[in-house]
Amino acid sequence: MSFLRNTYAVLRREVNRMARLPMYWILTIVLPLVSFAFFAVMFYKGVPEHIPIAVLDEDQTELSRQLVSMFGQTVTSDVRYEIQSMHEGERMMREGKISAIVLIPSDFQKDILSNTQTHVVSYVSGMNISVNGMLSKDLLTTVTTFSSGVQIQVLMKQGLTEAQAYQQMMPVRFDRHVLFNPYINYGYYLLPSFLPMMMLIFALLSTIFAIGTELKGSTAGEWFETAGGSTWAMMVGKLLPIHLILLVMMLVMDFVMYVLVGVPLNGSFWILLLAGIEFILAYQMIGVLIVSVLSNMRLSLSIGGGYSVLAFTFSGLTFPLMAMGTGLKVFSCIFPFTFYTKIFVDQALRGAPIIYSIQDMGWMALFVILPLLCLPRLRKIATDKTYWGRI
Amino acid sequence: MTRKIKATIALHWREFVRVMRNEYKHIFTDGGVVLVMVGAIFIYSTIYSLAYGNEVLRNIPIGVVDMSQTQTSRSLAHLFDAGPNTYVAYNPTSMKEAEDLFFARKIYGVVYIPDDYEEKILGGMQATVSLYLDASYFLMYRQVFQEVVAGLMQTGTQVEFLRLVAKGATIPAAQAVANPVIYETHNLFNPYLGYGTFIMPAIIIVIIQQTLLIGIGMIGGTWRELGLYKSLAMPGRKRLSMLPVVLGKSVVYLSIYAFTVSYALGFHYWMFGYPMNGSLGTILLFLLPYMLACIFLGIALSTLFRYRENSILWLLWSSIPILLLSGASLPREAIPGWLLDFGKIFPSSSGVEGFLRIQTMGASLDDVLPELKTLWALAAIYLALACIGIRHVLRKQEVI
Repeated sequence: MSFLRNTYAVLRREVNRMARLPMYWILTIVLPLVSFAFFAVMFYKGVPEHIPIAVLDEDQTELSRQLVSMFGQTVTSDVRYEIQSMHEGERMMREGKISAIVLIPSDFQKDILSNTQTHVVSYVSGMNISVNGMLSKDLLTTVTTFSSGVQIQVLMKQGLTEAQAYQQMMPVRFDRHVLFNPYINYGYYLLPSFLPMMMLIFALLSTIFAIGTELKGSTAGEWFETAGGSTWAMMVGKLLPIHLILLVMMLVMDFVMYVLVGVPLNGSFWILLLAGIEFILAYQMIGVLIVSVLSNMRLSLSIGGGYSVLAFTFSGLTFPLMAMGTGLKVFSCIFPFTFYTKIFVDQALRGAPIIYSIQDMGWMALFVILPLLCLPRLRKIATDKTYWGRI
Repeated sequence: MTRKIKATIALHWREFVRVMRNEYKHIFTDGGVVLVMVGAIFIYSTIYSLAYGNEVLRNIPIGVVDMSQTQTSRSLAHLFDAGPNTYVAYNPTSMKEAEDLFFARKIYGVVYIPDDYEEKILGGMQATVSLYLDASYFLMYRQVFQEVVAGLMQTGTQVEFLRLVAKGATIPAAQAVANPVIYETHNLFNPYLGYGTFIMPAIIIVIIQQTLLIGIGMIGGTWRELGLYKSLAMPGRKRLSMLPVVLGKSVVYLSIYAFTVSYALGFHYWMFGYPMNGSLGTILLFLLPYMLACIFLGIALSTLFRYRENSILWLLWSSIPILLLSGASLPREAIPGWLLDFGKIFPSSSGVEGFLRIQTMGASLDDVLPELKTLWALAAIYLALACIGIRHVLRKQEVI
């Protein structure tokens, strides 16, 4: 009973502090909302459109012009320039005006009409591999479509019907099923990784701030006394208000993701919510650990901040963990975000059976439990005046 | 008259030196600042480069559900094994089994070959193969798709060619019908489409800006907490009289970053084999306005921070948005135009764009002229804002 009374006392003191220190609100409400808005606007379009390319048409015939106009008609690429030499194209690329050059050789039409193999060459900038991927696919599709058109004409001249010609031309066809992200939309897979990334940064920083200011302002003793000397009451009363606000932010985040942007939610929302609570708590506890051990707010913020930003790379969403060495794979396990991402992918996108997420939730729980080992240290720095007032 | 000018210059020179000495002291006696302004570049560039060290994703396990179980179907499946991107890790006997493997993250794509595959191919008809590809991890989707589709197209062309020859066509004629337009594609500047080669230059340039903004902000907060503005800066009547303070600080940051940036763009670049196609002179002439714009922006912002912890609390989260705004990771064309334009208020947008073209593509200063102009303009604007900001703080402190 006394634990509850003590916790409540700390809680009341904390709410008073929050009302006095605007930084609390900035970290838990203002900046999270600003960041959500930024990402929602950023990914509103989702797919790149009209990437500028240049075409060097050395043939200048009806067929070559037809191919050029086909390049221009796709959504992804846009024939912005018709150039006279490769030299001109290279300069435009260095000036950042185009991302690819397509070369149609002279004799293009002559070769096709005389039933001889001809070729088309493209030079695609590899500076941005997402742009490269999109463009390469788009250019290949266009050339393949053009090529098919030629084949059908030739085969029909040989006396086949159009349907027969089509079958003849493609003895093996494929139907493609894109699983879990059917529109191959950037927003669908990046948004759900950037938004929780923001959540973890704010969970960690706000916790370090909340405890760090007690040390910096030499109010740690008062905090300890309010808790009636109970370290648990100190901690729970401290973390709970921040946790509740961030939980509300998490629901706002879910609204932005699943409702506004339309990210699929194929699995269990409740598992995702539970994992989200655990995720915020894990980062709060890591914050407690860092600031207790270092007992210096500024250094804790620098180290905690550095640690939080690293998580993104090791979640494997952009560059898969599979491509990293064993050492780095092990390293990736020091970030709760890695496990949260797996749960998100399994539950929101894949709709995997819940059992696959339970294990990851177990791993994440370790980040909540292990920092508890630093509670004696928290008690020490809250009672020993030598740790206070360091700026 | 000349004596008076000389005295003023001497006074400002002493102020400049005093600011510099004070700045070095505050940076190197503060672990948090050293970590941000010196350590971060070494730590981040190393960890990120190691993470992206393999550059290209290879050997992705896929499953082939072969209902046909014939020579023809096996030779198709073999093609998926032969390329670098994928390997056939499992041969599930049903789609249900394939699905379980999928959820267990044992495979990242499934190719389903129907039982009538050989019959249709040999009988001159069209066979249909189904692909189930996981797009929840983008890069994986792309690599698997490329390899599987290449295998299918190759098989298709080969079958068509053989059919035409069987019908009595000559080999060149059959080739021309089966594949009238040969398509060749070359990737420039990053031939293997390495992930690290693509993202690291942008990350390093953004880290330079972010650590400068946060670090300078921490020092600025310290100045305010300790009331240093009053003791270090002469109570100026004119805005221009704040110049020695701003320049004193700037020279200190420039000198520190001269070391760390040389490491990151020199030794580090060389060690990880990132493209170095720009000439040294071009790079220096481009980086100078970039660094100045970042530093002046940092000083201007630092006058807003009342406490030393505020800069990291306000600015840390912005690193990812700023990297995205630079257009280096997401395709520029996927971002709303007005947002990209807005992003130009940060030196990183023009900095990343210009630096990548210089160092990765070998562009000259002429080629990056628009970016260069933007950076000098930003440097001038932020220098003015820095002077105004410092004078504002001084005035407020005088009132108190």
